[in-house]
Amino acid sequence: MRKYVRYFGFLISVVIIFGCISNTYAQGINLVATVDRNSLTLSDRLQLTLTIHGTQDTSPPSFPSIDGFTLLFGPKISVQTSIINGAVSVSKGYTYVLQPAAKGKFTIGPSTVEYKGKVYSSSPVTVEVVGAVPSSGSQAPDLGKLVFVELRTDKNEAYIYEQVVLSFRFYFQKGLPVADIDYVAPGTKNFMEEKLGDQRQYEEIRDGVVYNVLELRTALFPMVSGELPISPARLKCNLIIQQRREQRDSPFDSFFSDAFFDDFFGRGQKRYPVERTTGSIAVKVKPLPDQGKPKEFNGAVGAYNMDVSIKTQQVKVGDPITLSMSVYGEGNIQTINEPLLVLNNAKDFKLYPAESNTQITNREELIRGRKVFSKVIEPQKTNLKSIPAIVFSFFDPRAGQYRMITKEPMPIVVEAGEQEMSIQLTLSGNNIASAKQQAHILTQDILPIMTNLSSLRNQADRRYTNPFFIACLSIPAIAVIASFFVTRQKERLQTDIGYARDKRAHAIAKKRLALAKSALSRNASEEFYSSLSKSMADYLADKFNISAASATGDKVGILLKQRGVRDDIIGEVSRCLTDFDYRRFSKDGGTREEMDHSLKLAEQLITKLERQL
Amino acid sequence: MKVRFIGLSFLIITFLNCGMQIVECGEPKSKISRDEVIKLFTNANENYLQAAKGIAARNNQEADQKLKEAALQYETILTHGFEHGQIYYNLGNTYYRKGELGRAILNYRKAQRLIPRNADLHANLSMAKNSTEDKELPNEIPVVIRKMFFWFFLLSVNELIVAAVFLYIVFMTLVFFLIILKYGWLKRFMIGFAVGLFIAVVSVGIKIYREQGVNHGVITTTKCQVRYGPGEEYEPKFEIHDGAECLIEGEKDDWYNVYVYVGVKQDTESKTGAEEKVSKEVRKGWLQKKDVGII
Repeated sequence: MRKYVRYFGFLISVVIIFGCISNTYAQGINLVATVDRNSLTLSDRLQLTLTIHGTQDTSPPSFPSIDGFTLLFGPKISVQTSIINGAVSVSKGYTYVLQPAAKGKFTIGPSTVEYKGKVYSSSPVTVEVVGAVPSSGSQAPDLGKLVFVELRTDKNEAYIYEQVVLSFRFYFQKGLPVADIDYVAPGTKNFMEEKLGDQRQYEEIRDGVVYNVLELRTALFPMVSGELPISPARLKCNLIIQQRREQRDSPFDSFFSDAFFDDFFGRGQKRYPVERTTGSIAVKVKPLPDQGKPKEFNGAVGAYNMDVSIKTQQVKVGDPITLSMSVYGEGNIQTINEPLLVLNNAKDFKLYPAESNTQITNREELIRGRKVFSKVIEPQKTNLKSIPAIVFSFFDPRAGQYRMITKEPMPIVVEAGEQEMSIQLTLSGNNIASAKQQAHILTQDILPIMTNLSSLRNQADRRYTNPFFIACLSIPAIAVIASFFVTRQKERLQTDIGYARDKRAHAIAKKRLALAKSALSRNASEEFYSSLSKSMADYLADKFNISAASATGDKVGILLKQRGVRDDIIGEVSRCLTDFDYRRFSKDGGTREEMDHSLKLAEQLITKLERQL
Repeated sequence: MKVRFIGLSFLIITFLNCGMQIVECGEPKSKISRDEVIKLFTNANENYLQAAKGIAARNNQEADQKLKEAALQYETILTHGFEHGQIYYNLGNTYYRKGELGRAILNYRKAQRLIPRNADLHANLSMAKNSTEDKELPNEIPVVIRKMFFWFFLLSVNELIVAAVFLYIVFMTLVFFLIILKYGWLKRFMIGFAVGLFIAVVSVGIKIYREQGVNHGVITTTKCQVRYGPGEEYEPKFEIHDGAECLIEGEKDDWYNVYVYVGVKQDTESKTGAEEKVSKEVRKGWLQKKDVGII
C-alpha cells in the first residue's frame, strides 16, 4: 500500500512540474543580446551573451555579424530554470568572449533563432572601442557607467489632488556588489505623500548592458495648482570592486590567491564611495474645472465606488439607524468627505456627524483604499418609508469630468415611539408596578449665575511678582542667618575665656577711666592714679589673657611687639604704666593739669591699642 | 540703646512705607473702580435673569437682546482689567444661553483657573462639553492622579503661592528657634515643613507653566477646518466644531499650529445593551487665529 502511495505522489509531482513547464512553453520565447560593457579599450575583452528566454529546446542562435572584433572563444552554454510561486521560467545562454581589433563605434548585429517554425531576433547592441587609457597608480575603474540614478513621475501633467506616482530608480551593473546604501528622498513640498509598496528589484537592459534596478515609489497628491517642482533625490553607496592580484612565485601564494580565499578573507576587494544625484523635475498641476461641477462635489478626486447598508430596517420614532457608507477606489482615500444625504424635509430625520474609518487596501501600483462612514440618523415621523438617497460626487481625472454615484432610498419601517413617564409622586396599591418605572430626566439645564458681591475683588492681581513681596521673603532668611552668627558669638564668649576677655577689655577699661574721671573731679589723686593704673593694666591683661599682676611694663612691651604694635606706642604704654604706679604710691600726686594730661593720655593710648590689637 | 531702637524703627517704617508704595505702583490696577464693577456686574446679572425669564416665556427675541446686553457688560468689566471667577462663570452661562458653546467653554475654563473648587462651574462645564458636536476629550488627567495630587487641582496659583509662603515662614521660624533654643524635636517639624515647602514650590512652578507657558485654546466658530499648512491654499485635513479644545504649539501669521486630543465615542450594540467605546488620538494641523479663543 505504501509503495502505491509513494508512486502516486511521484506521479502528481511530475504532472505539476511538467504542467508548469508546458504552461511556460506556451507563453512564447524571446532572444536577448547583452554585453558586459559597452565601452572598452583595445586591451579589454568583451563578453557577449545571447540568451533565449522561455525555452531550452532550441538550436543555438546564429552568431551575429560583428565588425572590429575577433572571437576568442565560445560559446559557453548556461541553462537556468527557476520556479517562483509556481511560475516556471527557463532560459539558455550562449556566452562569447570577443577581442576588439580596432578603435571606433561598432554595432553587434541582431542574432536570430528559429523555434517551431518562427524566427526570433535580438536587438542590435552598440559598443565603443577607445584607445588605451593611461593607467593611474590606483587603477580606479570607470564608475560613471557602472551606477546611475533616475527620478521620474508617471505623468507630467495632473489635476489638483490627482494621484501621481513618483519613482526613484537606482541602476547598478549586474553582478556588481553594492553596500552601505544611503538614500535621501526628494523634496515634495506642496504634495501629500503616501508610500507605495516595498522596494522593487528587477533587471533592465540599457544599451545592451544588464543592470540591476532598485526602485522606490511614492504616491503624490498635489495640494495646490501650478508648476510644482520636485527637488532632486540623492543616493550614496559603496561599490565593492575586486582588484587584480599580482602573480607571485610562491606555491602557497598561488594556492591562497585563489578567488575562493579572496572572497572568504575579503582580500583584493576595494570599496569605492559613490554619490549620485538625480535631476529635479516638475509636475504641472491644473485646477479642477468649474464646468460641470455638481453642487454635491466635496473635493474627492480619483476613481471611486460606493456601497451603502443599514443595520436595522424596523425602528421606532427617535431610535437610531446606523447608516454605513463605504466609499472605495483609487485616490487619496484619507481626505475624502462623507457622502451627502438628499433629504426631502430636514425635519424627517435627525442627523449626527459621521464617524469614519479609513483603510488602505492596496498600495502596490496605486493607492487604493476604503473609507467607511458610519452615520447615525433618527427618524422623527412614523410615515417615513425609506431612508434618504445618498449621493457621492468625485472628479475622475482620467476622463477629465465629474461623476456622481447615487444610491436609491432604502426602505424602512418606522413605528410610534414610547411615551415618557413622569415621576410618580404618590403610590397606591394598584399602580405599584407602574411606580417601578425609571425616572427620566426631562430637561437638562445649566446651573444659575453667581451673585456674591462681597467676594468680588480683582483676581488679576499678581502680587507675587512684586519686587517688594520678593524682598520681604528674604527677611526670614536674613533673620535666620543673623541668629546663627549671634548664637555662635554668644557660645564663643561663654566658652573661650581669652576671646571673652579680649572683647570686654575695652568696655571695662572705659568704666575704670570713668571712675578715674570722678576721682579727678573730687581731686582724690591716689584714687585717680589707682583707677588709671588699673584700667591700663587690666585692659592689657584682658587683651593678652594674662593676670593683671603680670601686666608689667616689660612683659607688656614684649607682647605688644609680638602683636606688631608701633614702638612709640609701646614706649608710651611702658612709661604710663610705670608713671601711674609711681604716682599711685608716692605722695606727689601732681597738679590738676598733670592729672588731666594723664587721663587724656590713658584714654588716647587705650583707643590706639584698641585699633591696633 | 534708645537711639539704636529709634533708628531701627525708623528704618523699618521707611522700608514698609516705600514697599507699600512700590506695591501700589507695580500692581496691575484695573481701569475701573470696584464700585463701578459692582454696578456693572449687578446690571449684567439682572439682564441675564430677565433673559432666563424670557426664555421660559418663549419670548426669544427679548431674551436674546438681554443676553447680548449682559455679555457686553461682563466683557466691559473684563476688558477694563478686572477679573474674577464669578464674572467668567456668568459670562460662560450667558454665552451658553446664546448658543455659543465655544465661547461658553472658553469662559468656564478661564473661571476654572480662578475658582477651581466651584462645583457649579464644573457641572456647567461638563454640560457644555457634552453639548459639543465633536465628542472630543482633552488630554484629561486620570482620577487617581487628581486625587493623589489634590492640592494641585483644588488650589489656584494664588492660593498655592500663599500656601508656599506660609510654609516658608513657618519653616524659617522653626530654623530660627532651632538655632536659638536648640530643641532637638524641632528638627522633625523642620524636615516636615521643608518637604511641604518643596512640594508647594514645585506645584507652583508646574501650575504657572501649565497656565502661562502652554497655550490652550477653544474653537469659537461653528465649524473650523484644520489644514495641513498655514494658509488657505493648503488642503483641509479635518474639521472641528464649536467648543473643541486644542493645544497651541506655534503660530505663523494669522494661523495657529494646534494639537487636538480627540476621543471618538462609538456606540456598539451587544447582548447586554449599548456599550460606549472610546478611542483617543492626537491630531495636528493649522487653523486660523480668529477661530480660536485662548484660555
